[in-house]
Amino acid sequence: MAVVERVERLEEIWLERPGVLGWLTTVDHKRIGLLYFWTTLVFFAAGGVEALLMRTQLAQSDERLVSPETYDQLMTMHGVTMIFFFIVPITTGAFGNYLVPLMIGARDMAFPRLNALGFWLFLGAGVFIYSSFLVHEAPNAGWFDYVPLSLRQYDRGHNVDFYALGLIFNGIATTIGALNLIVTIFKLRAPGMSWNRMPLFCFALLATALSLIFALPALTADCILLELQRKLGFHFFDVAHGGDPLLWQHLFWIFGHPEVYIIVLPAFGIATSIIPTFARRRMIAFPLVAMAELLVAFIGFGVWAHHMFSTGISTATLVFFAAASMMVVVPSTIQIYAWVLTVNLGTPVFRAPLMFIGGFITFFVLGGLSGIMFAAIPFDQATTDTYFVVAHFHFVIFGAAVFPLLGGIYYWFPKVTGRMYHEGLAQLSFWLTFAGTALTFFPMHIVGLLGMTRRVYTYDHGLGWDAYNLVETIGGYVLAAGLLAIALNIAWSARRGPYAGRDPFHGGTLEWTIPSPPPHYNFAVVPTVRSASPNWDEEARQEDLERLERDELVLAGGHETPTTTVNDAELSQIAEMPPESPWPIALAVSVTIAFALLLTSHYASAGGFLALALLMLAGWHAAEPEEA
Amino acid sequence: MTTAALPVRPARPNGWWGMAVFVASEATLFGTLIGTYAYLGLHNAHWPPQHLAKPPVLTPTLLTAALLLTSIPMQLAWRAAREWRRASAWRLLALAFAVELGYLIWQLHDFVDLVHVYPPRGSAWSSVYLTLLGTDHAHVLAGLVLNAWFLVRISSRLTNYRLVGLRATTFYWHAVNTITAVVLAVQVSPYL
Repeated sequence: MAVVERVERLEEIWLERPGVLGWLTTVDHKRIGLLYFWTTLVFFAAGGVEALLMRTQLAQSDERLVSPETYDQLMTMHGVTMIFFFIVPITTGAFGNYLVPLMIGARDMAFPRLNALGFWLFLGAGVFIYSSFLVHEAPNAGWFDYVPLSLRQYDRGHNVDFYALGLIFNGIATTIGALNLIVTIFKLRAPGMSWNRMPLFCFALLATALSLIFALPALTADCILLELQRKLGFHFFDVAHGGDPLLWQHLFWIFGHPEVYIIVLPAFGIATSIIPTFARRRMIAFPLVAMAELLVAFIGFGVWAHHMFSTGISTATLVFFAAASMMVVVPSTIQIYAWVLTVNLGTPVFRAPLMFIGGFITFFVLGGLSGIMFAAIPFDQATTDTYFVVAHFHFVIFGAAVFPLLGGIYYWFPKVTGRMYHEGLAQLSFWLTFAGTALTFFPMHIVGLLGMTRRVYTYDHGLGWDAYNLVETIGGYVLAAGLLAIALNIAWSARRGPYAGRDPFHGGTLEWTIPSPPPHYNFAVVPTVRSASPNWDEEARQEDLERLERDELVLAGGHETPTTTVNDAELSQIAEMPPESPWPIALAVSVTIAFALLLTSHYASAGGFLALALLMLAGWHAAEPEEA
Repeated sequence: MTTAALPVRPARPNGWWGMAVFVASEATLFGTLIGTYAYLGLHNAHWPPQHLAKPPVLTPTLLTAALLLTSIPMQLAWRAAREWRRASAWRLLALAFAVELGYLIWQLHDFVDLVHVYPPRGSAWSSVYLTLLGTDHAHVLAGLVLNAWFLVRISSRLTNYRLVGLRATTFYWHAVNTITAVVLAVQVSPYL
């Protein structure tokens, strides 16, 4: 069989059915990645509109644009959306799904159908929680939903139930995604891609996925306890019956602080992908950066109580957590130095992706500096629940986590679409988002120190806050303009941009070795890896071509991808991957209905739909590939 | 298709790793619930409250011992399946399943009694105690469903796919037993 015939055979094997039905039943990691991408952008837009409504409400004192009740819902849903339905799913779901298999030389994720299920459950959870607006009962107790405010006696509607059940639901989807990422990275790395040759992006995603696996159960348990108390009258959080309201905070922040790193780590990974490419040199201190990424995730589990410095817990505990919080500086600083030195010692080309990374480093350092200030217990106690906190975490979460995402969108846009974006518009969008971010969030530090507390619906005139708030609101609209410019660039360039070719930026990782957009089968021949920058390893790539000609590791006998050993990535076996399937979406619909019934306390019916989901699982596994 | 270019090394399959990560997540969930029990215990002078009798431990201990023993036939079932001795694997799996089912029925019967004796609306202790026990029973039920599924699947034939599934299920079952033993330790803790 000639090379062309082999490639055509692969195309035939991996091609999925066209049209809407193809998207509904897809198990292709690239299509699922795109589904995550567009869905999370919709949620991002929703969260952005909520933010703009809040900023407009706060633009001047004594404003009455929205009611206090609506403001509570906007404020809560903005946080919930951005954290649970935008940043985490776009990094792990969209970027992780699309890029990890391409970067490690695999043809799909380890569990393709489970991957599809994760997406449809995520969408179901999003629809579930956003349907709360239709009944005017959107979550309203803040994104961390503290008790006793969120207990039934103080919040009698379904608002908090939407929150708790929605996050349990979303947690299932996220766990599935994290599990898949971990096993994919463990088992599907191309032969030769030992740990020291794995892209730092994949290290970051691995650290993120591990953090999710060990952090999410605390949130899930917390929400289950809350629902048991709200709906069935159990006692976990009320002192009168032996409970403790601080239990909620402990469990929430045992999840919540690792969540900060879950949000930021993929951004680190994107930065470590973009910087070497545009600095034209290999990443400095590769092993140290890899270890730092894992260390950040690990230390993140030991600092949760620094969110609780003003709750009256003992001084010894406070000091321990303050010291632990300081430790996060070490791995973070290793990475910052490595990024800056790589740029400094290379010959950087300042195109849009690298400019966004520059913005990221700027805001990460600023947000990090205010973060260290919170590790000082008296300062934290003085500024708790002020806008200073809001400023800090928006610099970290928007400046440090979203900026690399935006840079990453530009960086991998040619790979995904096969076309180049418009560089001029991209650079304009950078300056708009950079200026918008600084204008929106920097004045919050000042207004926070002036005493403005977070979550206030409006404020009196004459407190000295008006000008700062007006600047913040103007900044919010500038930021929105920058984001719209990115959306415009993507929409225009996807249709009209010049063809990008296989490797427009001369990137070092494996995704740049294949055509743009990637073919359905990803790699015509399973690549072998000898360095951390395999695309720059011309000899190994030449060997790939020779193996394609010899029909070695082409794997055109079915939906096949090789699995390798965990440590050294030595070839282990050939796994038969499942074809497209209707079961994931059907199962997700059933689970979504079950959660809706739980919300309305129809427990027997909910159990019925969960049993139906179980039957669907049986159908799912009835058709089995030869190997797994 | 050929893989002649590279050496091939045996390794645990994807399904086993998937189950291992899932078990890690579940174990963390149980860790959180047990941590909740311990945390609330530290914030109460009497745990369980003085007006409540200490929960029974003899029956749960005996039942848990029986449950732990099911790890043996489960492991042997997997070993027999690996050697393509399908009938032996099925019989061992059926034995484990029967004991597990008996365990669960007995425990659920006792659980209903516990709900009456320690109503969860009565105190934080009974709330968290029953939540922990209920979650553990649900965990055992999940293992039982998996076992039942493989009883059906390997009754006709063995395939590589089913073999991997059985291996993962066996691993899961060991995890169920380990977690149940830890939950028993929580049940016994008021006597220590």
